[in-house]
Amino acid sequence: MVSLSFGEKVMHSIIIIFLIIVGAIAIAPLISVLAVSFSSRLPVELNEVTLWPKAFTLDSWSYILSRSDLWRSFAVTVCATLIGTALSLLITALTAYPLTKPEFKIRSILMIAIVITMVFKAPLIPYFLTVKAVGLYNNPMVLFVPHILTAFNLIIMRTFFLQVPVELEEAAVVEGAGYFRRLFSLVLPLSKALLATLGLFYGVAIWNQFQHPLLFVTDPDWFPLQLKIRQFITNDNELPIIGSIAELNYNSRTLRSVAIAFSIFPIIMVYPYLQKYFVKGALLGSVKG
Amino acid sequence: MFRRKTLLVMMCLVIVVGLIAACSSNSSNSSSKNATSSNGSSNTSGQTDAADKIVDIEVWNGNTGFKAVEKGSPMYNFLAELLGVGFISPYVEWNGGTDYLNALNARIAAGEMPNVFLPYNGNEAELARNGAIADLTDLLPLYAPKLWELIPEEVWNIVKANDPTGQGRIYWVPGIKSYEKTTGLIRKDWLDALGLEMPTTQEEYVNVLRAFKEQDPNGNGVADEIPTGGRENARWMDHLFNQYGIAMVEGFPDWDIYDGELTFSAVSSNMKDALAFIAQLYKEGLMDQETFLNDKATWDGKIDSNLVGNYFHWGQGAYEHLEKLELGSGVKAEITVLPVIEAPGYEGKGFITTKQLGNPEWVVSAQQDEEHLIASLKFLNEIADESKWYDIYMGVEGMHHEVVDGKKVKLPEDKSTQQNSVSPFYQWGSMEFQEQMLLDSASEENKWRYDQSVQNMKELQQYVKVIAGDGLPSSIYDGYPDIKNNTLWYEYATKIIIGTYSIDKFDEFVEKWYKSGGNVVTERAREWYAKVK
Amino acid sequence: MNKETSSKGLLSNVRRYWPLYIMSIPGIVFFIIFKFIPMGGTVIAFQEYSVFKGILHSEWVGFKNFEILFRSPDFYRIFTNTLILGFLKITIMFAVPIILALLLNEIRRAVLKKTIQTALYIPHFLSWVIIAGITFEIFSLSGIFNTIREWFGLDPVLLMQQESAFRWIYVFTGIWRDAGWGTIVYLAAISSIDAQIYEAAVIDGASRFKQMVYITLPLLLPTILVLFLLEVGNFMELGFDHVYTLLTPMTYSVGDIIDTYVYRTGIQEARYSYATAIGLFQAIIGFILVMIFNKLSNKVSGEGLW
Repeated sequence: MVSLSFGEKVMHSIIIIFLIIVGAIAIAPLISVLAVSFSSRLPVELNEVTLWPKAFTLDSWSYILSRSDLWRSFAVTVCATLIGTALSLLITALTAYPLTKPEFKIRSILMIAIVITMVFKAPLIPYFLTVKAVGLYNNPMVLFVPHILTAFNLIIMRTFFLQVPVELEEAAVVEGAGYFRRLFSLVLPLSKALLATLGLFYGVAIWNQFQHPLLFVTDPDWFPLQLKIRQFITNDNELPIIGSIAELNYNSRTLRSVAIAFSIFPIIMVYPYLQKYFVKGALLGSVKG
Repeated sequence: MFRRKTLLVMMCLVIVVGLIAACSSNSSNSSSKNATSSNGSSNTSGQTDAADKIVDIEVWNGNTGFKAVEKGSPMYNFLAELLGVGFISPYVEWNGGTDYLNALNARIAAGEMPNVFLPYNGNEAELARNGAIADLTDLLPLYAPKLWELIPEEVWNIVKANDPTGQGRIYWVPGIKSYEKTTGLIRKDWLDALGLEMPTTQEEYVNVLRAFKEQDPNGNGVADEIPTGGRENARWMDHLFNQYGIAMVEGFPDWDIYDGELTFSAVSSNMKDALAFIAQLYKEGLMDQETFLNDKATWDGKIDSNLVGNYFHWGQGAYEHLEKLELGSGVKAEITVLPVIEAPGYEGKGFITTKQLGNPEWVVSAQQDEEHLIASLKFLNEIADESKWYDIYMGVEGMHHEVVDGKKVKLPEDKSTQQNSVSPFYQWGSMEFQEQMLLDSASEENKWRYDQSVQNMKELQQYVKVIAGDGLPSSIYDGYPDIKNNTLWYEYATKIIIGTYSIDKFDEFVEKWYKSGGNVVTERAREWYAKVK
Repeated sequence: MNKETSSKGLLSNVRRYWPLYIMSIPGIVFFIIFKFIPMGGTVIAFQEYSVFKGILHSEWVGFKNFEILFRSPDFYRIFTNTLILGFLKITIMFAVPIILALLLNEIRRAVLKKTIQTALYIPHFLSWVIIAGITFEIFSLSGIFNTIREWFGLDPVLLMQQESAFRWIYVFTGIWRDAGWGTIVYLAAISSIDAQIYEAAVIDGASRFKQMVYITLPLLLPTILVLFLLEVGNFMELGFDHVYTLLTPMTYSVGDIIDTYVYRTGIQEARYSYATAIGLFQAIIGFILVMIFNKLSNKVSGEGLW
């Protein structure tokens, strides 16, 4: 590695310090949420908890983790995310690839149509009726099927596909490869960073979904995680709660904090594995090879 | 490479097929509305009479997070035995009513209305006009006589007068308010600590507030006291408004007689004086400077942290604050009713607003067959039976209550295990029933808190006045959602109080309010008043 | 080209390049079912839609819903606020993730890079309710902001009540929550750049800064352009939750936007026609903007969405 000049070293350090500060600020809300989740009920109600737990307790966590219906939600969401992401990536790739080929006559029209779907949103009731008509009402598949394609991800994939060097595909054509072969054996393997990115986008969208299941899933057994978590978020009822309050060491706020942390951690766990695809030089050697 | 992709695709297909297989065996369990009846009750004593058959109905009543009630579940069985009706209630997200409304509308659009449900935000009018809900006028006395008797005739008459189809029919069941719950509340122990009398005039009141601020009544050596305050949108500070004879329900301005005519209280001259007074309090620091940023949790937190001297909320809810005050600050506080203060020029004119007619609570679908219609009415009939309220309140043994020494003791609220229920005692309940519920929850050590609560509940009634706008239908706001939402009011009231606007801007507010639809709304309101009263 | 030739051209195109057409079928079907058919429901913007009557039997009112919107006394205010916040969104809030990505790219130590990246995108998963709640706390009397002011001998200020602060808080919270997440696409793009180009530049004596400006940035341009165009398409959409949770009546004059107005007057009242009409209005503006910028982009850089 070529060594940096002094000026560059200073710049470098400044950048790193800056990013660390920014990172700390970014992570502060999560710290606050965690702090509440480990605090006892009373300090939370007295608004005493900011970044550190008060009257540390594991009660909220043990309560949440002991709820089997939450774990079922978790499992449902994991399955929907895995299946949905794989399906989405596949179909997005299949749809994006032709859009990169100038010889594809309806390319421009499709692009305009796609942008239209992104800008013009369908109103709620007609959407509900359509999805119901397709048989997805109260059907677990509604957890991933409506998410198969988004215009945004599609366009990004197309943009990245366009940046694959033309010579590579031409070489494949010379060897007699058809379009399917070119997509699956050449373009996709070179697009690991892209697939990781879109996999993350789709996966997170399915993981976090809330509006869809709200309308289309009525069987509590199939509630995905976010919907389940909403049950802990009380609308502050004006009604005073009758009954022994003091016995519980948690309340809706602490439980909500646990639930939020619970739903974020899997994503935090997954990301580092995807990270390795964001390494510079993934295309190294491809031109020569 | 190609093979890996094919493998992935095949895996997907396999899983998808598996899911379809799994879900097709599960989908029969979705909440059904016109479900077939079942002979589940053990009370039938061998009779197969139609009257004893348990008919299932789907009930939507606004769930704040409790578990759904499915067929065969504990709550279902419990209510089947108690009411003779199969109570099925799915979980429908509430979210301030918006999500509930959307879900309801989606169902209506799909032709699958629930059998009995809670109307929201005035949609009962549209439902009635479209014939979607049943005309209850003749059905109630016939099939739900207990409910018919429970609600006073004057109240039924107002419901008839408010009939959106204009034919004097009854389309919904209202809640009733047999007693008022809200009042100004003050820390009597602080008054005692500072040697002050309970204030009755405004001058005395302001002096008390000043004393709270300067003389450290919570005794911690820090000047952290918040004499009084409220919450965002200028709500829950009605005690500052009601000194001026302003009709206000939980912080929302309402309709009463001003200058001889039914007028919206926010645009009355009383309001101008009130705002001027409150702005003065804010300026002097006698009000929580963050009042308009407080949500319920934040404001309650301040009350519970031994910082607030005077607030406005439910008299009977004092025990909650008393508990936290004791646990958090170690103080055994005394929270008592603040009398309605005499403001200069408004002596004797102040009052705590109340209404007798509550919000619409139940409507019955007209899109069901006779069997289910009768079952719906039976449901309403049985929950109106006061003798059953205690059992309904106590709920299912092991889930909502446990039996200790032969006595039922209510378990703490637990949304993960407890199923949703109905609360007829809140919809139609009397003060006596409420008192009984409160004292029931008391133990020896904490009885003092509940005593204070009951005391407050009873004492505030002397200040209560029923306003002229009692029973005013929300249809007067049709076409003017921002008038209904009080958007303009929030903006001007908060800005005037915090001082961004001077009090003179009030006249601008009144003018704008009338111009943006207030005049039409007022006209409609006065028409209604002339007709009904 | 007359019609006969072009349809013949299409048919022969299909015959010759049939794999491409086969590939796009699932996607097209999906869009038709889940996007275009429901989009047909937008006609309710021209009706007085009632859930009881359905689309077929609801009354047609033409442009009445739009008239109501334009005549509303608030229209000027909400429209201007939407434009201003939208402008801030496609400038400042759009640029920050790019800069962050470039800076992140400079970190060599993998562990540090991974950690900071992870930290940066975490707020994206917290709902606006939470972020707004924390924002209110920060600017409360006992919050960090006023505590620091005290250190400097200044009086406390309740920023969340100030009209002048709202737009900056909007930008700040938007960056706080979503900038980190926004870096992901750019980092992916950067990682696809051939390392050899950098090596060649280093040999030529280019500083890291020069590398950033002359290699990374230009190669990132297609991605930036596309994302910009997509942002522009959603210009009028400022994130309802974002603004709604930060809004107070005291800041209505600068913060009340079209979306919050629709929520109050359309959605909460279940006035679906009105809400749809306003959504249509916003979408049309967004679409026109996309068309304009797409043309510009094509002219300037040869790249565009179509």
